[in-house]
Amino acid sequence: MKKKVLKPLFKKLNAEPQFSEESNTQDIELKKQDISSNYDQNLATFKSIFSIPKNIDIKVREFIIGSLDRRAFIIFISTMVDAQSIQEGIMEKLIGNDQPSGKIQNITSSPSERTATNIGEITEFITGGVTALFVDGDTQCYLFETTKITGRSIEKSDNEVIVKGAKEAFNEKVIDNIALIRKKIRNENLIVEAKVISKRSRNDVFLVYEKDLVNDELLQTIKDKIASIQTDRILDLSILEQYLEERPRSLFPSILYTERPDRATSFIEEGHIVLLMTNSPSCLVLPATFWSMFHSPEDHYLRTPYGNFIRFLRFQALFVAMFASPLYIAITNYHVGMIPPDLLMAIAGTRERVPFPSTVEILMMEIAFELIREAGLRVPTPIGPTIGIVGALILGQAAVQANIISPIVIIVIALSGLSSFIISDVSMNFAIRITRFLFIFVAAFMGIYGAIALFVPGLFYLVSLKSFGIPYFAPMTPHFISSKDLIIRHVPMKERFRPGYLNPKDTVKQRKG
Amino acid sequence: MKQQPGKIGIREYLSIAILMVGSKVTEDTPTALFQKAQNAAWMIPIITAAFTFIPLFLLIKTMSLYQNKNLFSVIQKLLGKYLGFFVCLLIFIINVFSISFDSRTYTTIIRTFYFNRTPIVIIYAILMGVCAYGAKKGIQHIGSVAYLIIYYAVLLLYLAFVLCTQDSSIQSLFPIWGPGKLELLKQSSLNLSLFSEFFLFALIIPSIASYKDFRKGTWIALVYISIQLSVGIIIFICLFDASLKGIGYPFHTAIRFISIGTFFPNIEILFFVIWLMAALIRFTAFLYINALMFGQLFKIKNFEFLIPALATIYLLIGSIPESPYDLSLQLKPILRSVIGPTFLVVSITLWLVALLKGEFKHEKKRGSM
Repeated sequence: MKKKVLKPLFKKLNAEPQFSEESNTQDIELKKQDISSNYDQNLATFKSIFSIPKNIDIKVREFIIGSLDRRAFIIFISTMVDAQSIQEGIMEKLIGNDQPSGKIQNITSSPSERTATNIGEITEFITGGVTALFVDGDTQCYLFETTKITGRSIEKSDNEVIVKGAKEAFNEKVIDNIALIRKKIRNENLIVEAKVISKRSRNDVFLVYEKDLVNDELLQTIKDKIASIQTDRILDLSILEQYLEERPRSLFPSILYTERPDRATSFIEEGHIVLLMTNSPSCLVLPATFWSMFHSPEDHYLRTPYGNFIRFLRFQALFVAMFASPLYIAITNYHVGMIPPDLLMAIAGTRERVPFPSTVEILMMEIAFELIREAGLRVPTPIGPTIGIVGALILGQAAVQANIISPIVIIVIALSGLSSFIISDVSMNFAIRITRFLFIFVAAFMGIYGAIALFVPGLFYLVSLKSFGIPYFAPMTPHFISSKDLIIRHVPMKERFRPGYLNPKDTVKQRKG
Repeated sequence: MKQQPGKIGIREYLSIAILMVGSKVTEDTPTALFQKAQNAAWMIPIITAAFTFIPLFLLIKTMSLYQNKNLFSVIQKLLGKYLGFFVCLLIFIINVFSISFDSRTYTTIIRTFYFNRTPIVIIYAILMGVCAYGAKKGIQHIGSVAYLIIYYAVLLLYLAFVLCTQDSSIQSLFPIWGPGKLELLKQSSLNLSLFSEFFLFALIIPSIASYKDFRKGTWIALVYISIQLSVGIIIFICLFDASLKGIGYPFHTAIRFISIGTFFPNIEILFFVIWLMAALIRFTAFLYINALMFGQLFKIKNFEFLIPALATIYLLIGSIPESPYDLSLQLKPILRSVIGPTFLVVSITLWLVALLKGEFKHEKKRGSM
């Protein structure tokens, strides 16, 4: 009822502003047409589309094909092509060949060749680094794959460091990224599907999945979601992530973002879908659960007891990172009786000369720690180490000596700060750090009762979160069949099932016996 | 395996059941039982569970005729539109008071033991606020949260029990029959309200994945909870002996009393945390079931939107008793003496009506076809 009244009102208030825009219908109409057989008309069309000669790196080369004795021109973007392959595979063959042969395909030696007729399509190919050949009298254009984009080579993973196991990481070249996945899964059922998602910059997104594992319904949902995106440009995978998420304003992430191909591969083999994008040194894994963010690939690379040991550490770190500071506030303010008398005396003694309440102390130090952390990320590498010294020395030592902070607070903050580094997933890490502040406030307000009164609704919220229809804590609750790789993991031989919540076509990884 | 949306499995159902009924050991129930049966109070849960078995069995049998229907629609179907409505209304009203008084008891516990300078209204409002938020999320999510914490809740409860044994003497249990065998039987039959929540679970049958899960879960929960309750009372009797009579909330007194070694003298917060979480989930589930009843009663489809309003009403009703004394010694005994017989009568009547109407025969015929 209330909504009915308010909605039109809000609509009126937030009306979309009108702009006087220049019309581009002429361009659009042009792109819909096919090329003509007239050599000069084609040349003029493409020169106008690519603004030649204003646009310096777009090259047009006119010549006569020796064997056919016909005029022709090629057009390409010199910064995106491999000049040598044009020289050897196309130009030399076309100009130098004397044998009379009717077909361009038989003259050139470039390994990939295709034809196209639509002007818009040809334009798209050229902007992607393809060389286009127009021959006088032909109603089609010949396209040669000559792309060579400069970029970083495959390097070590920086943000998800592990000791044992593969070290390589995705880079900005999507071809390399697909190759990294392909070399790990040598199976013809591995599908790489491309989809154009934005209109203006025409960014490609690649869906990678195993055809005989992935659930078709899930795949269709994701495809629909990608198709429904209406935008001019999506620069990076991390922006696409926000477009895809069901609750983009939520504190907790619902899509896994990783830069490790081995991790992506392991998810593909469970029946998940991985998204790759040009220019993004990472991939998205959908759908993701709490457990997929919480786990690290190293858990499985290490032997079972060691893997579980670090799992326990991480589980503990999760709680320490979230609750160390709130607990300190709650206990020192509301539940003093809990501290053993000797320790209580010691804490009281160090706090004697500090003028602030413990909540203010904790908040100051938490913010300081976050500042150091953020600064440490942004400083140029040469002066990086200085930040550590400044942070530790000035903020730690001096603050205590100046009676601004009591030493025990330093311990608490250092502990919770260090623990937060153990949660390796960037988004989850942020979620934990921000919820910590919420818990600090409620603990200051109502002690343990306040913290629990936030924790329980928090749990309710988390279990109601969904990532493409998959509950956040699946397969723990609601229960699904899985290899029970949750808080602890079993030996690899016992991990016999793919997660049931994905409803994969093939659930059993290995049969018994 | 396909999971139906909005349904809970046996794990979630068991967790809700254990948290809802099992948490009785941590409030004033042990004291109430001790006042009636002295040191044989620990036998009451087991005997009562045996007594509860009969009506519960009949109820489950009757309910199995109408799978995917909840208790209220079955009552209305079997007893007719008008009589059925009044029976449902009676059950609803009893439960309104039950949730109000119980939540007030918990608020009192929190206030007396941990926050004695905080106004009771604030504690109560936060409690109900959290429950309303949770209940609005629906039974599936209540079940999930219950399952997430059930292991820790049960483990810590037993840790507290084990720590209690350090200072207790087993002699307090004797004479083993307490006030006498006959008196014990009599008291057990009067305390049917102990497991009355099980009848309420018949309301969420449509939300449970399969009827088999409901049946199995109910029996497991009944057996487990009666044992847990009985173990708890044994522990309290051994720890407090005759003074248990005067201790309002033995669990909380016990956790203040125990310690781990000599260095950690006060560990009650540890148990308080998990107890509070269990309590919040208990009332969340209770609130949800209450709202469900209300919705069913007055044919309101989207009853989730009523939850905040209902929670406020319960808060107001719960605030009426002036003191915990009124609550534990005057109002709750009345309620307890009403709940038990009501459910007994309702479930036996339902079964009889179904039998007389020949529903069981129809079922057999349907089965043979």
